[in-house]
Amino acid sequence: MTPILESQRMNSVPLPPDTSSGPPMLELRNITCGYEPNTPTVRDLSLRLQPGNVLCLLGPSGCGKTTTLRAIAGFEQLSAGDIRLQGEVLASASVHLPPEQRRIGMVFQEYALFPHMNVKDNVAFGLYHWQAADRQARVQVMLDLVGLQGLELRFPHELSGGQQQRVAIARALAPKPLMLLLDEPFSNLDPDMTIKMRKELSRVLRQTQTTAILVTHDHEEAFAMADQVAVMHDGVLVQCDTPETIYQQPSSSFVAEFIGQANTIPGIIQNEHVETEIGPITNQSDFESGSRVLVMIRPDDIQFTPSETGPGRIESRQFQGSQTLYAIRLQSGQLIHCCMKPIPVYNIETPVMVHITTSHIILFPQPALS
Amino acid sequence: MVRHIQLSPLSLLGVSIAALLTFPLAYVAFSAVTGDLSQTGNLWNTRLPELLTNTISLAVGVSIATLILGVSTAWIITRYQFWGRAFWDWGFILPLAIPSFVLAYVYTYVLDRGGPVEQAWQGLTGSDAHIPSPYSFTGALVVMSLNTFPYVYLLARAAFQNFNLSFEEAAQATGATRWETFYRVYLPLIRPALVASMFLVVLYVVSDFGAVSLLRFQTFTYAIYQQITGRFDYQSAALLSLLLVSFALVFLFAERWFRKQSRFYQTSGQVRTATPKPCSLARGLAINLFFFVIFAAAFGVPVVLLIQWTLTAWAEGEVGTSFGTYIGNSVFLSATAATVALALGTPLAYLASRFPSKLHIACLQGAYIGYVLPGPVAALALLMLFTDMIPLLYGTVFVLIVAYLIHYLPAGLQAMESALQQVNPNLEEAARNLGAKGIRTFRQITFPLVRKGFSAAWLLMFLLCMKELPATLLLRPVGFDTLAVRIWLEASEELYQLAAPPALLIVILSIPAVFLLSKKNWQAEPQ
Repeated sequence: MTPILESQRMNSVPLPPDTSSGPPMLELRNITCGYEPNTPTVRDLSLRLQPGNVLCLLGPSGCGKTTTLRAIAGFEQLSAGDIRLQGEVLASASVHLPPEQRRIGMVFQEYALFPHMNVKDNVAFGLYHWQAADRQARVQVMLDLVGLQGLELRFPHELSGGQQQRVAIARALAPKPLMLLLDEPFSNLDPDMTIKMRKELSRVLRQTQTTAILVTHDHEEAFAMADQVAVMHDGVLVQCDTPETIYQQPSSSFVAEFIGQANTIPGIIQNEHVETEIGPITNQSDFESGSRVLVMIRPDDIQFTPSETGPGRIESRQFQGSQTLYAIRLQSGQLIHCCMKPIPVYNIETPVMVHITTSHIILFPQPALS
Repeated sequence: MVRHIQLSPLSLLGVSIAALLTFPLAYVAFSAVTGDLSQTGNLWNTRLPELLTNTISLAVGVSIATLILGVSTAWIITRYQFWGRAFWDWGFILPLAIPSFVLAYVYTYVLDRGGPVEQAWQGLTGSDAHIPSPYSFTGALVVMSLNTFPYVYLLARAAFQNFNLSFEEAAQATGATRWETFYRVYLPLIRPALVASMFLVVLYVVSDFGAVSLLRFQTFTYAIYQQITGRFDYQSAALLSLLLVSFALVFLFAERWFRKQSRFYQTSGQVRTATPKPCSLARGLAINLFFFVIFAAAFGVPVVLLIQWTLTAWAEGEVGTSFGTYIGNSVFLSATAATVALALGTPLAYLASRFPSKLHIACLQGAYIGYVLPGPVAALALLMLFTDMIPLLYGTVFVLIVAYLIHYLPAGLQAMESALQQVNPNLEEAARNLGAKGIRTFRQITFPLVRKGFSAAWLLMFLLCMKELPATLLLRPVGFDTLAVRIWLEASEELYQLAAPPALLIVILSIPAVFLLSKKNWQAEPQ
């Protein structure tokens, strides 16, 4: 695999790959919003989403992902750029279609189920203008879809967390919205339930062919659910790609470190090689010879062998079941993580030699010393 | 970045309401400083020193007395287990049900020359010395202290109950003695609660009119009333009002500042609070005796006397059909004012809690102006405003209702605000997201969820209006008397029996309001 040419990546706006040639369901063009106090600002963000696709907005808290979602739903105003749904402008600096006219469903972080209404009335809330018979039929269809038959008359406080989430999804999908937004949908569930509900949600979205945007800070969740992952940092979109590309070819050291564990080792380009503390690595980038770079390697791509003359020592060991994560301290003080088979077990303080087992490495320019 | 400045219709409504509520005060302030000041020269030399001394000494005296009463009762109740504790726990809130002028009028009888206390005193000691007259500083001090100590009790009790015992134990583990622990750990941590209660008491004392007027003790509020009714000297009254309101405002800002300064975060996670210790029979008896004396003085004796007088008045046929008219007048006024206040308060509270822009917060703060506006001042403001601008409406019920609105909207607004804050804005957003317009969202989501809190706000405002005295005295249409006005008029003439039936009725009606008040979160935490 070809390493990414960092110099090119840095200057180009990371546009999502246009996988389908059809018109996009949702398009954000250079939106800027969030001037209220306490809301993170979003700057110059662009996204396209094809019908039926699921996109995850991923980033640490305060990066603006929820603000983006709320702007799409109509709860934040834009100060620049525009949002289009099926080509129609929903919002721009001068246009603001109220939330109730957007036909975009939303599942809130704490579900926001109406506490004074039972399950049936919650799901029927968006069907206000429907004929009574149609409304009843639709509610039944939705409850069947999410597996809540028989709980129609329960009130939200009488439901478990997972059931509440099912109601929230049914309620949001009942009025047949053009697309669905989900704000940290699993953050209120315990880990076992999270995995179950991820599968459920994937099934429901596939079954209803719903276009969806899901906000999360958990990259595993993003990888499990999404066709596309959009990583945000400080109000800016830093990369938007398929989960595989995001993982293997992160566009910056921020993305690399946010998506799972990554080692970054300083090095200097020497023609065909990058000279690093753990030895030379093949250089396939077009950095100029002599440039200082950071080498990004995943722990799975590093192995070690015990060696009396090796440059590192095992500092800690963390058994993780199918593999063991070792932390190795090099002579310079640099710490490197690598994943090994759980057997044999190496003791702490064992001197080791480190090898890189892949040609797939990513180089970032080293930030100037300040 | 382009900032949209949008004035929605709702926003505009909020601004107009706030402007209407603050306009009268602004008008009074304006006329106070722009009028002919030559007439008022005497005021500064003759009256002001006395008014200042009286008002300040009463405020200080009542603060000290209520601090002693409130803290001692709250401490005993949170720390000791004794027979009767459950009763006293809420019994000490009951004195709040007695309006200050009712307590004052009962005490003019109890402490009067030749009254029951003096007779008992002379009988016990055999001397013929007189006890202090109720028409004095002492009288005002006793009445105001008994009337307001429950505020200190409520705040201190909440502070003691929420005090994390681990701090006390940690101090003891470092070797601190009990006194050092109290002085260096306990006191600094409960100080915010005590200071907050002092502010409350002082604000109450300086704005009280009913008690000081019946006890003929010259404070600012009483002097303002006299300037208006006795001398028709609105100019001096306006100046005195401006002075009083400025004091109150300075005081209010000092309180805010202090609350910010003393931002202690007591705990994270689990709180271990003190469990009441059982105490010996003798100690239990002593506590009960102590509590009984306080309770009898603040609630028991007045209520017994009121019942007695009412029964006598009833037997002598003094409770006539006019009594029904007064009830009708009071209920009509209070219900109208509370309903209008609810309608006006809703947009203000909604805007401030959902769209907390500077403008909306300012509107809400403006509506809270009534807090620092003692009754006679509010009355004066409307008196001047309506006689100058809309003389046609002067002397009608309309002016009276406006006065009630300005005066009591703050109390209701607080309850409405907290009800709205308890509704997660996500619920409203979810409704909008599901296609509901603003009005449907309010009707189907917000309103059902705040109904309880709003009902409580209505009830609170209704009962406060029932007790309103000074503004009603000054602004009521000729011959239009309310229960409170009747009590005051009869009591001024020392017609105890005639004043008793309306007084008893007001006390009974106030009990629910007192319990609403006691359920409020009394912790002196910054909001």
